[in-house]
This record gives sequence, C-alpha cells and structure tokens, in this order.
Amino acid sequence: MTHRITRAAICLPLALGLATEAGAFTACQITDTGGIDDNSFNQTAWQGVLDAQGQLGIDARFLESQAETDYEANITSLLGGQCDVIFTIGFLLGDATQAAALANPDQMFSIVDYAYDPAIPNVLGQVYATDEAAFLAGYLAAGMTETGILGVFGGINIPPVTIFMDGFAWGVDHYNGVHGTSVTVLGWDPDTREGLFTNNFDSLDDGRAFAQNLYDEGADIVLPVAGPVGLGSAALAAELGPDELMIIGVDADLYLTDPERGQVYLTSIMKRMDATVFQVIEQAIAGTFEGGVIVGTLENGGVDIAPFHDFEGSVPAALAEELATVRAGIIDGSIAVGGM
Amino acid sequence: MSDRGAVDSLLQRAAPGRAEFEDLVIVPLFAVAVALILGALTMLATGVDMATIGRSYVALLQGSVGSLGALSETLTAAVPLVLAALGLALGFRTGLFNIGAEGQLLMGGLAAVIFGFSFPGLPFPVLMPLCLLAGALTGALYAAIAGYLRAATGAHEVISTIMLNLISYRLLDWMLSLDWVQREGRSDPVSRSVPPNAELPRLLDWLDPNLRVHAGIFLMLLAVWAVHWLLFRSKLGFEFRASGANPDAARYAGIRASLVIVLAMALAGALAGLAGANQVLGVLGRATPGFSAGIGFDAIAVALLGRSHPVGVLFAGLLFGALEAGGRQMQVDAGVSIDLIGIIQALIIVFIAAPLLVRAIFPWGFRRRDKGGAR
Amino acid sequence: MDVELRGITKRFGPVIANEAVDLVAKGGEVLGLLGENGAGKSTLMNVLCGLYRPDEGEIVIDGRTVAFAGPGDAIAAGIGMVHQHFMLVPVFTVAENVVLGVEPVAALNRLDLAAARAKVREIGETYGLTVDPDARIEDLPVGVQQRVEILKVLFRSARVLIFDEPTAVLTPQEVEEFFQIVRALRDDGKAIIFITHKLMEILEIADRVSVLRAGRIVGGGDPGAMSRAELAEIMVGRPVRFEVERTAFTPGAPRLEVAGLTVLHDTGEVAVDGVSLTVHAGEVLGIAGVQGNGQTALIEAITGLRPAVTGRILFDGQDITDASPRARHAMGMAHIPEDRQRMGLVTDFTVAENMVLDSYYSDRFSNGPAMDWRAVNRWAAEAAEAFDVRTPTVFAQAGHLSGGNQQKLIVARELMRDTKLVIAAQPTRGLDVGSIEYIHARLMAARAEGDGVLIMSSELDEILSLADRIVVMFKGRIVAEFDASAAPPDKAAVGLAMAGAAP
Repeated sequence: MTHRITRAAICLPLALGLATEAGAFTACQITDTGGIDDNSFNQTAWQGVLDAQGQLGIDARFLESQAETDYEANITSLLGGQCDVIFTIGFLLGDATQAAALANPDQMFSIVDYAYDPAIPNVLGQVYATDEAAFLAGYLAAGMTETGILGVFGGINIPPVTIFMDGFAWGVDHYNGVHGTSVTVLGWDPDTREGLFTNNFDSLDDGRAFAQNLYDEGADIVLPVAGPVGLGSAALAAELGPDELMIIGVDADLYLTDPERGQVYLTSIMKRMDATVFQVIEQAIAGTFEGGVIVGTLENGGVDIAPFHDFEGSVPAALAEELATVRAGIIDGSIAVGGM
Repeated sequence: MSDRGAVDSLLQRAAPGRAEFEDLVIVPLFAVAVALILGALTMLATGVDMATIGRSYVALLQGSVGSLGALSETLTAAVPLVLAALGLALGFRTGLFNIGAEGQLLMGGLAAVIFGFSFPGLPFPVLMPLCLLAGALTGALYAAIAGYLRAATGAHEVISTIMLNLISYRLLDWMLSLDWVQREGRSDPVSRSVPPNAELPRLLDWLDPNLRVHAGIFLMLLAVWAVHWLLFRSKLGFEFRASGANPDAARYAGIRASLVIVLAMALAGALAGLAGANQVLGVLGRATPGFSAGIGFDAIAVALLGRSHPVGVLFAGLLFGALEAGGRQMQVDAGVSIDLIGIIQALIIVFIAAPLLVRAIFPWGFRRRDKGGAR
Repeated sequence: MDVELRGITKRFGPVIANEAVDLVAKGGEVLGLLGENGAGKSTLMNVLCGLYRPDEGEIVIDGRTVAFAGPGDAIAAGIGMVHQHFMLVPVFTVAENVVLGVEPVAALNRLDLAAARAKVREIGETYGLTVDPDARIEDLPVGVQQRVEILKVLFRSARVLIFDEPTAVLTPQEVEEFFQIVRALRDDGKAIIFITHKLMEILEIADRVSVLRAGRIVGGGDPGAMSRAELAEIMVGRPVRFEVERTAFTPGAPRLEVAGLTVLHDTGEVAVDGVSLTVHAGEVLGIAGVQGNGQTALIEAITGLRPAVTGRILFDGQDITDASPRARHAMGMAHIPEDRQRMGLVTDFTVAENMVLDSYYSDRFSNGPAMDWRAVNRWAAEAAEAFDVRTPTVFAQAGHLSGGNQQKLIVARELMRDTKLVIAAQPTRGLDVGSIEYIHARLMAARAEGDGVLIMSSELDEILSLADRIVVMFKGRIVAEFDASAAPPDKAAVGLAMAGAAP
C-alpha cells in the first residue's frame, strides 16, 4: 500500500498538468437525475457528444445531477470558461439554464426539451415532435394487442413526457377509427391531462410496480415514459415473457441499449437527441451557433420509431403497410396528429 | 465553614487533556485521511488509473476550497446541513433519535414558499423573516407530532419520524398539485416561485453573478450560537441534557420528561424547517418533489460526526459541504462518478464511529493508554 | 504453589496506583487483601493475572521469576481470577460456560460436552461446588453463578485463586456457603487471595491479612491477633468509630405521616399494601426488610416518583399525595435514592452539574432562562469541600469518582440546604468504611437539627445502629415495629420478622 501512496504523490503534479491542459473545444453535459447511463434519455444525448468527440476531436465532460437541487449548482461548477458549450438535458433544467444563461451571456448553452419564448440569444433549445413518432407506436400497439388494453405511465407530468402519451393515445384513437375497434389506453387521458406518474426519473422499483398494476388491469403492452424507470418495467416483462407483456421503449432504441432484455421491446419511440446534439456542436465549432429552437420531426428524422427486431415476424405485413401509410400521411400533413 | 483555598482549587479548570485533543481533532483528521485513501483504493479497484485518481483529488480540493466560487459552493451546501444537523444534535443530546429531519425540512420549506408567494406585497425586511419563521414553525409542529406520540403513548420516535417522512413526501406531492400552490401553466408538481423580496439575498453576486453564497450563512452561525447557548447555558438545555444522559435521574430531579420530549422534538423540527426554508429562499426559489435532496439524512451523519456538539456540527457540516462541492468538480475534471463522494462520506463516518480502529491504524498518532507515564 | 509479588509499582500517567507492593500468597492459606475503594487492590490483582504489566517489580512463582505478556500466560501459570462482575454467557449451560475457550474436542473437532459435564461434576464433588452442569446460567441464582465462575477457574487448573469482592452480590446464607467452599479449596492446598473492604469477612475467613492504602502495603499480619478496630484504623489511616454518635432522642411533631398507602409495581401488582407510618422531627425511622418486599416502591411513593393508588401522605401536616417531586423537594424533603448510578446521578455530567441536579431551576442558580454557572460552580465547590467529596475539580465527570465519593456528592446535594425530612434509601450500599462512617454522621447531624429521617436499608446492622424506631416490611406490609430509642432491639427478633414470621 505504501508503494501506491508514493506513486499517487508522484502522480499529483502530473495530474495537475493534465487538469489545466486546454482542449481545442469542450462540450459539457449536465444530466437530469436519471444519470448518464440511463439507457435512454441522458445517454442518447451523451451519445451525440461522444459522436462529436470521435468525429470532430473535441473534449467531452459530463456531470450527473443526483437531485433536483443539483441543477443550478452543477451548471455553476461548469461555468468559468472550461466549457465552450453546455448541454442541459431535460425540461426540469429549464429554470436553472435560463438563470445561468442570462447571468453569463457569453457562454453558449443548449437545452434539450425546452424552448424559450422569447428566445435567449445564447441558448439553443432542442425540441421534438415526439407525438408524431408516438402516434405510430400507438397505432402499432393497437394493432398488436390481444387484450384490447394498453398501458402508459410517465415520469413527471411535464410537456416533454406527456407529448409521448398524447401521441400514443391519438395513434390508438386513429387505429380505432380506421378499424372500428375499441382498444383502450390506461394511464393517460389527453383531454383531462391526468394520468399515472411516478414523479421521478430514477426509481426502477416504481417502473416495475406501475407496469405490474397496468398488467393486472389487463394491459399487454406498456409504454413507460420515464427514462430509466422503464427498465424496471422491462424487467417485469422479461420475467412474464413477451407473450404476456410487451414494452415500448422511449428516447433511444432500447433493443440496442438494453440488449439483455431486448426481447421485450416491441419497438421504441426514438428521440434522436444524439443527432441534434451533434448538430449543435457542429454549429458551435463553425461559429454559426445562435439562440433559438431546433425541432426534430418525423420528416427530418429527429423522431421515429425503431425497427421491430425480434417482433419482425410477429407484426402482420398488413399492419406494417398501414404504418407506412400513416407515416407518410403525417409527413405530408394529411393525417393530423392531435386530438379528434 | 470551609477552607477558602480548597474551594478555589476545586474551581480550577483543568487544561484540555491530551485525550480530549486526540478525540476531537486527531481522530477526525485521521478518519478523513483513511477515508480518502480507501476511496482511492476503491477507484483503483474499479479500474481507474493512478493519474485520474490524483487528478480527482486535486479537483476535490479545488472544487471545495480552491477558489472563491468553490468556497461559495461549499458554504451553500453546508448551510442546510448544519441547520438540520443542529436540530438532530439537540435531539441526540436529549436522548431522542430523530430520523425525521427530511420530512420536517420538506414541510418547513413548503410552508416558507407558500407564505412567500401568498404575501408578495410585503417589504423584504418583513417578508423574508416571516417566511423563515413560517418554515421553522411548520417544521416544529410536524416534529412535535412525533414528540407527542412518544410522550403520550410511548411510540418510539425512530418509527414515527420515519413514517412522518413518508407521509411528508406524499403530502408535498399532493400540495404541489393544488391549483393555488402549483405554478401557473405547469402540470407537473412544481410550486409557484418565491417572490424576490422573500429571498435570502446573495452576498457576493455583485462580484460575480455565479457566486451563490447567500445570507443563510448568517442564519447558520446564529443557529450554532443559539443551540450552544440553549444546550450549555440555559435551564432548558440542562433539562434536555439530563433527560438524554439519564432519564431516571431527570425524573428524580423533577424534570417533566413528556414536556422535554415534545419541546426538544419541536426545536429540532424548527431547525430542520429552517434548513428547508433556507433551501427554498436561498437556493431553489420554489418547491419541487425532491427538493430536500436527502439533506435530512445526510444531516444525521453530520450530527454524529460533530458529536452532537454545535461547534462540531458546524465543522462537520462544512466538511460535508466541501465534499459535495468538490465532488462535482471531481466528476467534471476526472470523470469519476459522483457516487464515490458518497463512499468517502460513509467511510469517514465509519472511522469516526470506530476511534479504536483509527488508533490501531495510526498508533504513532496517539499516546499509549495503558503505558501512561512509563515511557 | 506460592506466589510472590516483589516491589510492584504501577502508574497510570501521573497517578500511582501501586507503589513498591510486596505480597505473598501461599498454598493452603487464605490471604485477605483489605483496602478501601480506590486503594489499588484491583490494579494489583490485574497485574497478577496478566492484564497489566508492572512498571517496576517482579512476580515470582515457586521461586522462579515470571513475566506475563497477557492473561493467557497467567492462566497457564495457574493463576485464576473470579471477577466481581461475572463473565458468563447467560444463554449457555453451566458446562458450556465452564469449557468456553478451552473446549474439549472429540474426533473431527466435535465439541465433547459429555467430557465437559463429567469434569464439572468431578470438580464440583471435590470442593462441594454442586451445580447442575446442564442448567442455563440465566436460570440460576447469583450465588450459584458465582460457583460457575469458580468452576471455570478450577477447570483451567488454577492453583492460585483470586476473589475480587466476592460477597458483594451474595445474600447472608450464600455468603456462608461460599465460605465453606473457600475453606475446602484452601484445605486442598490452593492459594487463595480474598479481596474485600469488609472487616468482618477478613476476621472470619483469612489466615493472614495484608492491608493496602493509597497503593502501598501499610500493614498486615494474623487477623486472629487483631481487633476490628485495629484493622479499620490501618485501612483508613485514622481511628474509626463503629458506634454512631447520637444525641439524646427528643422527638418532635410528626414530619411525615403516611396513612393506608397502596402503591403498584409497573406490572400492576401490588407493591405496597396499605402501609401507615409516621416519622417525627428528630427521629430516625428505619425500614428493615429483605430486598423486594415493597420498600423501593414505598420510597418512590413518598418522594413523588410513583403514584399512590389509595392512602394519603402528609408532610408537616400538608397533603402531598399528589404533589410533584419538585414541590416536595422545595418543601424541604431530601431524597438519597437507592441506586446512585441509575437515579441519583447523571454520570456524564460534571460534579457541579450533579450538585444542582434538582435545584438548577432556583433563582440562586439561574437568571431567567439562563443558568448562572458561576454561582453553580462556586456553590458546588463549597458543597464538595464541606461534605468531603474528593474530586480534582468540580468540572470532573461524576462518573469518574469512586462510589463513596459519588454517594457523598449526593448526600452533599441533598443535605447542604435547609431540610426537614430526609429519605435515605440504601445510603451506604457498597461503600467503604470511611465513607459509611461519614454518611452516617451526616444523617445523625440532620436528626440532631430536628429533621425527620427515614432510612431504608437491607443491611440490618445499619438499621440497628442508626434507628430510633424500626419497622419491618414483608410482602408490601409492615409486619412488625420495634422501639430502639433506648437500646437496640434483639437482632434475632427483627431477623425473624424480616423472614415473615409473626413476632
């Protein structure tokens, strides 16, 4: 042990040198309470930073928030010139990002899932027409259910979460309208804007319990919109088997990020934050960064649903064709995503 | 009737002994050192290389005391910990193991927010103190429930305060969804914001807008003094300490146990509520479901580390604040998980709680007890 | 086997616990080691059984100098100690406790309990230590537990046995049986070291005595040739009076009147059953009785710590049945509680804090909500000086004082003010001769000043020497009353009443 301590002492000056070495361009990310390795929301955004690191040779740093109280503190600790652009991931960081951006007008910020009105010159918001992709997922789920009951629950009742639930529910309505069925959605009512929420983005236990409740009520497909909380739901589905319960992933293609339980994911509603984050970094390096909003849509590939993977053979060809039609309809505007 | 010189010699205060110095200073210092070393070994075990470990500890130092901003962050993190831990220390001294600071903190903070946005028209010198008072009173009332249950029915406060914590989480969720509490235009549980004239003013924002240290530090220092006075200078504190150290003797001395229990719990709750009010008025500006952020539980460790002495609590709280602020820098600079800070905090507590272990590891730091003057 | 300690000196920092102590224990002999609490007896014995290493001096066994690195070496050398506080596992059986640490094993490392049982029986029969090897410790009375401790030591082939205050926890009958065992051990050739501060025991059992005072051997010899007074003088360092000096008995008006008092235990059982008694000014009323016959509950009811179910308590004619302990205290009632560590003191508090434990709130010691520590400390120093409480300063922790000084602290706190009624429960239990003498004198001084004094003690000798009147409690009732104002009553008669026989 003494040897190691001595080595540590020798390493210290070296470490100091490293710490002060300035990279060419540094992108920093602050996660919400889900953490950097949540398999979905924060991880997808971080993937964009990592892609930029690989392709553009930038430096990358991140800071995890352990509680809501950390947001402001974390932003503060990244200020002071060590980051060229700071990504804050999530709607809940909206207030803290705004305050920091106004106090530090020379610092570039970009926030996922938040748009300021009026725009702040040094903040670029990234928002997504997630309802478009969720609409497709709802249509698919309505076509796949055997019980005629679908389940959905969210993390916190905030727009970037409920937009998934809205789109999903509208997609199911659309299916019912086309096929004359009466598939129902438990856990969210787009009109009253009330539903099931775990009120956190980090408890896998809650994810399991909420999915269990929905399953007990007859749901055979569940959409958890709560970042890593959904992993708890997937664990339940993996135990019950996909014949009993299927899960629809969110943010990333969970079949790929959560391969151990890949067999339970019917599909995933992807928010391509990696793409938009990468785009923002490119703009920042090129000097074309300006405050405002970029919107990811089905049309520009910012949102989409993932391939069916293991369910490729189970999804009827007719349903797959219908999905393609609906998708085209959304893009050309002939199908309106919204309440009926 | 008595010999004057003999009486005077009985009044001579002995200089603080070597043993006291060892217990109060050397053991904590060594505990921190061992915890840091074991933290480094933990990092090694998880495949972090030596250079990164070195870098992370430099970052820990820089992020906690290395700059004005770092000091500001350390203080900001320490204030609520110290306030809540003072309350817990008061309870420990009275023989009450109050686990409920978390819930009392939530209730106090919520009350401060509600009071703040309900009377936005009041001027700062009136509104801000009243908001603090609302927080303290609500925390006191909430804690007094557990105190009353203990005094009247014998229900153990550990159980009842844990249950009250759980109730407070749900109560907060529910309150935050009420129309008159919830922020306009939001459907998630987030309260209206505290008006600027209820906020604890930031002290150094004229120097740099990112310095978050606020007037809560005066509140903290005042509370340290007040708790010290209460415990060691007041009649009530005498009753608290007697009840805590020997309940039978306290009863014999005519001290009313039930009153002492309720009062001590209420005061502990008031300090926890003040910690909550400090967070919402000084840092967050609003209440959200997770705004306690585990401070009420960390404060238990702070109170124990500070040996339930107000001054000890102050230093322990500053240490924990420094670890929190430095831990962020550690993650930013070295990419080491912030969870490591939790490990280091836990290790410090383990070694503080086991002074004999520290003595065994560092025999040269201490005088041998048995040998005494033989050397 | 003979053991000799030569010039043993043991220091703890600046404190010298033993200084140049010479001591010899011979096989076939009981050596009495006599000394007051804090004289250094336990330190010396811890040196002998390997727990402490002496700073100077040597231990010689059968002519060979030995050095013990730890207790194991001492045990191997045949030295065994029976501690005052037993070190037994309550849920284990006698046999399991006896073999603990030196378990006999059969094939495959199995515990051979049969061998252990046989050995326990064998040792037991040799010395009259009859114990059922399969009984569980927690089911056994204290006297039998002590036998198990002795068995443990003998099982480890000890030839020198050290007993540290062995009779402190025993009833008189158990003491008699214990002495039989000690004699049997001696006659078998064991060397016995018997540590005590009780003179009568030395006179009864010891073949030779050494007296320790302030860490040094100050005398000794053949107890058969010494009187109790001589021994006491060597031990304390000055002449000791065994007869309590008392002024003439001139009782005044009733101070305390208890009528038809019934009190319950916490369990709801009746503890005190319709007791009536009166204590007059200038009178000592002694409550005798075997422990556990309701005396404790009676004292608690009189002092306000336990509610009365029926009956009345008058203090100077005023009804205090429902008054709080603090109100009674303020009226001039002093209470020396039965258990000084559990109730009488806060051991973590300083001497000064304990001196005002039940009067801290008075105007003398406080200013509004604040304590006046200057006044407290000064008063505590005066009280400590006046009542001979030996403490380095009033800021020392009460728990660090010796038992006698702790009790004197309580007596000082209770008596150093204007009192009218003194309630003293077991006021001298476990104390050394000097402290007992002092406390008795203080109680008699209170009587001389016209206080009513109520003394409860399970030591009949104490009651007999102090009381003007004696009542005997048995099963919650007063079963006999004796007048002792002129001459002490017949001890046998009181003893019979204590055993429940009608007078």
